[in-house]
Amino acid sequence: MQISSRRLLDRSFTAAGFASIALMGTALIVLLFPIIGRGIGAFVFRGTVEHRRLQLEQFAHGDPESVEFEVSEALAARRPVYDMVDTFKNELESGGFALRRKYADRVAELEDRLRDLFGPAPGDPRPILLRDQYGQVRWDRAEVKLRDLLTVESYDYSNPNEMGQKVLTPRSEGFAGTSLAQLFPYVEEHVDEMLRPRWTFYWRFLTNGSLDAHFFGGIWPELLGTLYLTIGAILFAVPLGVISAIYLVEYARADSRLVTVIRSCISTLAGVPSIVFGLFGLAFFINTLHVSPSKSVLAGSLTLGILVLPLVIRSSEEAIRSVPQTFREAALALGATRWRAIVAVILPAALPGILTGIVISMGRAAGETAPIIFTAAVSVGRPLSLWDTASQPTPALPWNIYNLCSEHEAVDEIRHVQFGMVFTLVMLVLLLNGVAIFLRARIGKKLRN
Amino acid sequence: MPRRNLLISRAAGRRKRLMAFAGHAVLLGLTSSSAVTVLFIFYFIIRDALPFFQLRGVTEFFTSTAWYPSAENASFGALSIFVGTGLVTLGAIFVAVPVGVSAAICLSDILPFRVRQLVKPVIEVLAAIPSVAFGFFALVVLAPQLQERGGLILSVAVWLIGVPILGLTVLIAANSITSRLSGWSHRAGRWIIPLVLGGLTFAALSHLSGRVGAIEIVSGANALNVCVILGIMALPTVVSVSEDALQSVGRELREGAYALGATRAETLLRVVLPAGRSGICAAIILGIMRAIGETMVVWMASGNAAQIPHPWFNLLEPVRTLTATIAGEMGEADHVTGSARYHVLFGMALCLLTISYFFNLISEVIVRRSDKGKT
Repeated sequence: MQISSRRLLDRSFTAAGFASIALMGTALIVLLFPIIGRGIGAFVFRGTVEHRRLQLEQFAHGDPESVEFEVSEALAARRPVYDMVDTFKNELESGGFALRRKYADRVAELEDRLRDLFGPAPGDPRPILLRDQYGQVRWDRAEVKLRDLLTVESYDYSNPNEMGQKVLTPRSEGFAGTSLAQLFPYVEEHVDEMLRPRWTFYWRFLTNGSLDAHFFGGIWPELLGTLYLTIGAILFAVPLGVISAIYLVEYARADSRLVTVIRSCISTLAGVPSIVFGLFGLAFFINTLHVSPSKSVLAGSLTLGILVLPLVIRSSEEAIRSVPQTFREAALALGATRWRAIVAVILPAALPGILTGIVISMGRAAGETAPIIFTAAVSVGRPLSLWDTASQPTPALPWNIYNLCSEHEAVDEIRHVQFGMVFTLVMLVLLLNGVAIFLRARIGKKLRN
Repeated sequence: MPRRNLLISRAAGRRKRLMAFAGHAVLLGLTSSSAVTVLFIFYFIIRDALPFFQLRGVTEFFTSTAWYPSAENASFGALSIFVGTGLVTLGAIFVAVPVGVSAAICLSDILPFRVRQLVKPVIEVLAAIPSVAFGFFALVVLAPQLQERGGLILSVAVWLIGVPILGLTVLIAANSITSRLSGWSHRAGRWIIPLVLGGLTFAALSHLSGRVGAIEIVSGANALNVCVILGIMALPTVVSVSEDALQSVGRELREGAYALGATRAETLLRVVLPAGRSGICAAIILGIMRAIGETMVVWMASGNAAQIPHPWFNLLEPVRTLTATIAGEMGEADHVTGSARYHVLFGMALCLLTISYFFNLISEVIVRRSDKGKT
């Protein structure tokens, strides 16, 4: 091959390497960008007066006087709208049958759209579902509902060769020539006064319970469930894992057959698909050992504990192995027994490394979904007390992310909650990994000194 | 402070030895608990899987594509589900291996130490992100984009992949052709041949991207979506394991190759990669295991249609995998513990477990053999 071709190949080879790394970085950014960007939207958004009313009535947050004042102002601004509708309905009553037949459906639909936007009309009976008792709490959702109010969506099937084309027509056209036609420009102009949007930092998204299947409120039950499961898993995995690591490094002879078998079992365990852990947890902890009558936090923690066990063993093993041999020799020379040397000298020296492994395992346990589907997770539930964890299932962030974005009845209405949950989970995991990276950097510095 | 005898009585010595022995035994017992766990997992999965095979036999499960577990005349043909799993895994490997191995090469041999320290956290973060977040991204962000502008995305991908690879091929082909020529034809050929070849490739590429751009993706939740995401998820494993393998190839080999006048690419491709072959195989196997065992992404974004795509490599159709089937159907089958519908899911779990066990075994054997070869 020619020299120039060789040089070209060499260059392009390097370029391919750089491109792959760039691709990896891009993938990370592309993945995190929408999650962080829209996830923050669950915390920081333009909240309407309905948001403040909901917070006051359901969670007793906020200043009652100012909220009530705002609500009365907003209601006053909405008054003319309902007056117009009432006037028009009276006109229909007094008008002929033909008039009623023409407009009755349209008015009913208009009232539905108004209800979607502002909540129940004054004088309506209190709706049963909480989601119907309030108007739109977020301005971005309110804008969508406002568009639905102002325009009618229909599909044009006139061309049989293509899929139906969406056609938007102003709703006011349906009421052209009537007294109600003036309602639409009025709403469009005064919607700010009717909803009073204001930038809100809703940090209580983390600590509020969910209301009416996440239509309103926060994610506290899920967050708490994830914390329980993570900590439970660590409580099971760490003692076992660290002791195993101590045995494997300090006591076991590397060439004995038993140790080889144990090691290969640990690597098998690390390779078991997570969903199989879930089935095992169901078959063993729940159906055989009966640790709880059905799904429970305890069963889920045990399952997750087995899942992270290999991770804990491997990282602790590495940490213990990296303690210099001189430490051991010095301790033994001072007359310490082997166990004493381990507890007093080697473990403290290996502690940062072990902690790093534990923190990373926590991140893994917090994010795993498949093992808890059959052992711990439910879609809806109240936050558990510590006592209940032995017998009760819990909602958990990973499971509820799945549940809200693929099984919820109104997936599009609660996108912000879904993104908020993913954001919270990802941040939790990244925080844990950040701690691990920090710990490792400190160990590195110490070793260099 | 109590005085202690320096001399140890025989009884005390025996007691001490006994204690040490007991301590050793307890430690061994605790350590082997992880081994016991593996046995338990196998035992319990097999225990609940056997009734299915006793009830329905093996043939239907592995050879039929009729998957109607809840019908009155239930049929449990899982062939299409196996094909779906294989397809998705294959696709993920096609994404993860080229990118992962070249990134590993870049990390171990090309980038300076400082930059490497910056890239490492990126890999760690990518590995740490929970699978449900990937699944959510695939379902909520990627799938609608694929559905709306699938053709555009595909044709951009064709260009992005095609231009560097074909461009390089053209330049090298032109180079080797011109080197055979001499005199005036050499001088003319130096300009004409690359232009002609380049033009031809460009035309072919634009034709291809036009064809691809016209594709309309019916559903964004399909095998392609899942393949890309699974490939990204398998990347950290592939990168870090193969980087370790490349690092463990000694400096001497590299220096020897350089001394013989090889370029960096030649050194890496002809010397370092073959020497680190076993480690890279292990990396690929671990990547495969990651992709096969992944549940949430495939459950959320693969479309969950138990069918063999037509033709079989058509990634734009929805598929269904073993893991997603277990996750999706256990909720309904759970109420009827003991039915074939319940046990068939354990049968699938057994298949998954066996596959991952054998892959694990293979990777261990490969690594062990290469270790032996080194010493």
